[in-house]
Amino acid sequence: MTKLRTRLGAVFCALILLAAAAPVTIEGQLLAYQDGFVFFTTGDGFRVAPNIVILDAQTQQRAKRPPEARDYARAVFNDSGQVVELDLSTEPYPVEPLPDAAQAFAVTASSPYPNPELAGPPRTTSNGVAETFSGKLVLVKFQVQVPPTTPITAQVYIATDVSGWNPNAIEMDRIDALHFVAIRRMASGTVLHYLYTRGSLQTEEVAANGLSVRPRELIVNDSDTNSTNSVVAAWKDANANNILMQPSVFPTPYNPAPFPNLPTGTKTPHP
Amino acid sequence: MRVARNCENGVRLRYLPLLIVVLILVVCAPGNAQPKPTPSPGPAEAQAIPSTVLRLRADRIEFYYDRYLVEAYGHVRLQTSNGMTITGDTFSMDLRLNRFLVASHVHLRSRGGNLDGAAIADLLDFDRIYFVPVITKPDRWTYENEDFTRPLRGRQMPGDVFYFPNLSHTSISLSATSAVIGSERFVRFAGVRAYFSHHAVPLGTYYVSFAARPELSENSLSGANFDATWNMTGNANSISALHVRYDAYNHGYLGFEQHLAGNGPHEYAVFSISPFTTYDKYWNLVTGEHIGSKFEIDTFQQLYTNQWWLKEPTASALTTYVTMTRGFNRSGLQAQLNQTNYNLLGTTVASPNHPNWGQLTWTSAANQAFKSPLYFQTRFGYGFSHDAYGLQYYGGVTYTTIWNEVVGFTVELPNIKIGDRDKAYALYYINAAIDSARTWNTVPHRVNEQNSSVSLSRQFSRFVNSYLSYNVLNISDLYLQGGYGGSAPLVDGTPYTPFESFRGAASLRTAILSTTYSASTNLVTSINFTHHDDFPAAYPGLFSVPPTNAIGQYTYANYLGQPPWQLTGEVRARLLPHLTLDVQRTYFFHFGDQIWSPSFVVQLSG
Repeated sequence: MTKLRTRLGAVFCALILLAAAAPVTIEGQLLAYQDGFVFFTTGDGFRVAPNIVILDAQTQQRAKRPPEARDYARAVFNDSGQVVELDLSTEPYPVEPLPDAAQAFAVTASSPYPNPELAGPPRTTSNGVAETFSGKLVLVKFQVQVPPTTPITAQVYIATDVSGWNPNAIEMDRIDALHFVAIRRMASGTVLHYLYTRGSLQTEEVAANGLSVRPRELIVNDSDTNSTNSVVAAWKDANANNILMQPSVFPTPYNPAPFPNLPTGTKTPHP
Repeated sequence: MRVARNCENGVRLRYLPLLIVVLILVVCAPGNAQPKPTPSPGPAEAQAIPSTVLRLRADRIEFYYDRYLVEAYGHVRLQTSNGMTITGDTFSMDLRLNRFLVASHVHLRSRGGNLDGAAIADLLDFDRIYFVPVITKPDRWTYENEDFTRPLRGRQMPGDVFYFPNLSHTSISLSATSAVIGSERFVRFAGVRAYFSHHAVPLGTYYVSFAARPELSENSLSGANFDATWNMTGNANSISALHVRYDAYNHGYLGFEQHLAGNGPHEYAVFSISPFTTYDKYWNLVTGEHIGSKFEIDTFQQLYTNQWWLKEPTASALTTYVTMTRGFNRSGLQAQLNQTNYNLLGTTVASPNHPNWGQLTWTSAANQAFKSPLYFQTRFGYGFSHDAYGLQYYGGVTYTTIWNEVVGFTVELPNIKIGDRDKAYALYYINAAIDSARTWNTVPHRVNEQNSSVSLSRQFSRFVNSYLSYNVLNISDLYLQGGYGGSAPLVDGTPYTPFESFRGAASLRTAILSTTYSASTNLVTSINFTHHDDFPAAYPGLFSVPPTNAIGQYTYANYLGQPPWQLTGEVRARLLPHLTLDVQRTYFFHFGDQIWSPSFVVQLSG
């Protein structure tokens, strides 16, 4: 029993010694390698030891080229906080904030002080979700109610600034007589400007008073699902007697009858 | 033959009291705004010219269209319109986030002097520049509001200002040797090689607009089956584009389009010529102008010429549309005018007609009817059509001018829920709408149009949605005396007798049962069963189809001649962030002699 206790104690001490001796390392993406410093994309710069070893992380052989910006790398520090080994990798490392142990090795000429613009809790949305923008992909649901004069066979699209205002960029699906839906996956933080159209900018939405509208804006946040529920007040090409005026059709001889496609041979109206 | 310029004032005046009563009712009705989950956006406001223009040169510049990323490598040199010149080894800019980064062996020349550093990032939207200078030791400096003389030394920076984007899941769209970037508006590349399936095609220059305003994207080209656009050059206010197009009539041809946009709202002009390489040429001009805060004017002009290149044309015609809109708080007044000259050259072959028409329309916004779930909208119109050569011959008179008055209203019942409101997937929704309009003409006839629709819909799960809708459109063209006489048009030499009973009243009834399955955001399938029960009954080839608009849709939503039974299946898959494949197959049943008539549509859009 005593022997076992002694052995366990020895193993424990060895582990502590090993842990104490393990060098500090960080992984990330390089911002620069210059002037005796290596910089990571966190913005932190670390002094490079004169005898630094640059390795290929995959082969553990000496790297064939010096480190460059955008390289992924693992830095190994010595006790004095200098980088003694840099393992360059073609596989991306996660880009994360520095661990505290490495933070102490970062070299700065000025003493850091807090930035008041970065203080304060994040804003919350109307449903109490923190309005943060991490860049993760979230579902965005667009639902729109169209004017009742919209033809039952009409198709509705979304034109966005992301698609160069292509008027039929996102096709929507009709879900009943008055509503259309489209669901897309977008990165949170996306600021999307968009308009509803019926397939061309001559058939885009306008305000209830007929004037053109400025594009709608959607800021995608980190909620699992972002929803917009909109109403189109009117279409640009609507007019009083519902005959759709299409300037792109030419020539358009005036036809006083409401049946533009009666078969040839039909007698014209007569007393 | 007698020529009458105007007549039947009695017909018009007879309904004047009714008009006045309806107008009073509408004006006195409660003007509760329709509850809008997202209010309709207001008129656009003037936008400033982009505050920053970046001129970038590098050994290699790459553009990733799907993420609006500009990445540059080797001997990067960046000049900014706010007075910085930066050199470095690499550059990265997210055009959507409006921020850039230059890293590695950075040299900054600014009003604050010359400095060397490891990286500099500019968050243009916030007027914050973050710099990592290396003097004797690295430091962190923040410049506020372009004040390069007083850096905030040591101030904490946002954690991600020096992050490069992860490009592992995206592919390069084009490479270049220089670029001009107008922040939040455009990027123009030079020395361009565009990549199509990893094959590089030299293009010289390329322009991309990503402005939040659509004015520069207004287009004036008519529809085509295929269009590849090369935006050759441009800036914050213009784009010059060459179009390589194909359609069934002209086959392959070239078109050119010049876009211009002002900095104010709804200020644009678009000129195009297309096809340019065939005899039939269409020269289009589209303009828009916002005057004051409540008035807009839009124009469209199309000049047709039949000529080889720019030689003397053998035929030419011109049509002009002008639309003027005056907006009020809860309604709008719109005037539309059109003039067409079918024969600009005076040749005897072409029609000498030059008809014109105008229409003045007042339309109200949707108003809630006394706190009920109903919403109503009214409209009135007054207009004319004129053709000195005659518009219509009726009763021994050739009418050269026909005046019309229009009264219409719309009632809608949106989103009535039936079922357990706590269970979203068990709810049924009823939507209904009635639209009715009557047009009185000075040729003694009136046109009635009633369009009624009702639908029942349900979301069965997150993926499946179905609806059943029924739509009835009644159009009648009723003459005080006479009207449409019975006739039997010939179909393949045989009179089509069912048409004999047509007397100017058509009824188009449409029932649709549709189910949509959204497997993911990138794959949507739907199946749609449609039954048309129309009078006059359709027959293949008897009725011509209406003309189509720019994207091939029929300009008349409801038209005579639709097959009675249709089954349509559609699969829409997003292959790339900017490329969607739409495969649609429709079967027509029992349409004339056709028992089973498939129609196949494949559409690629981006």
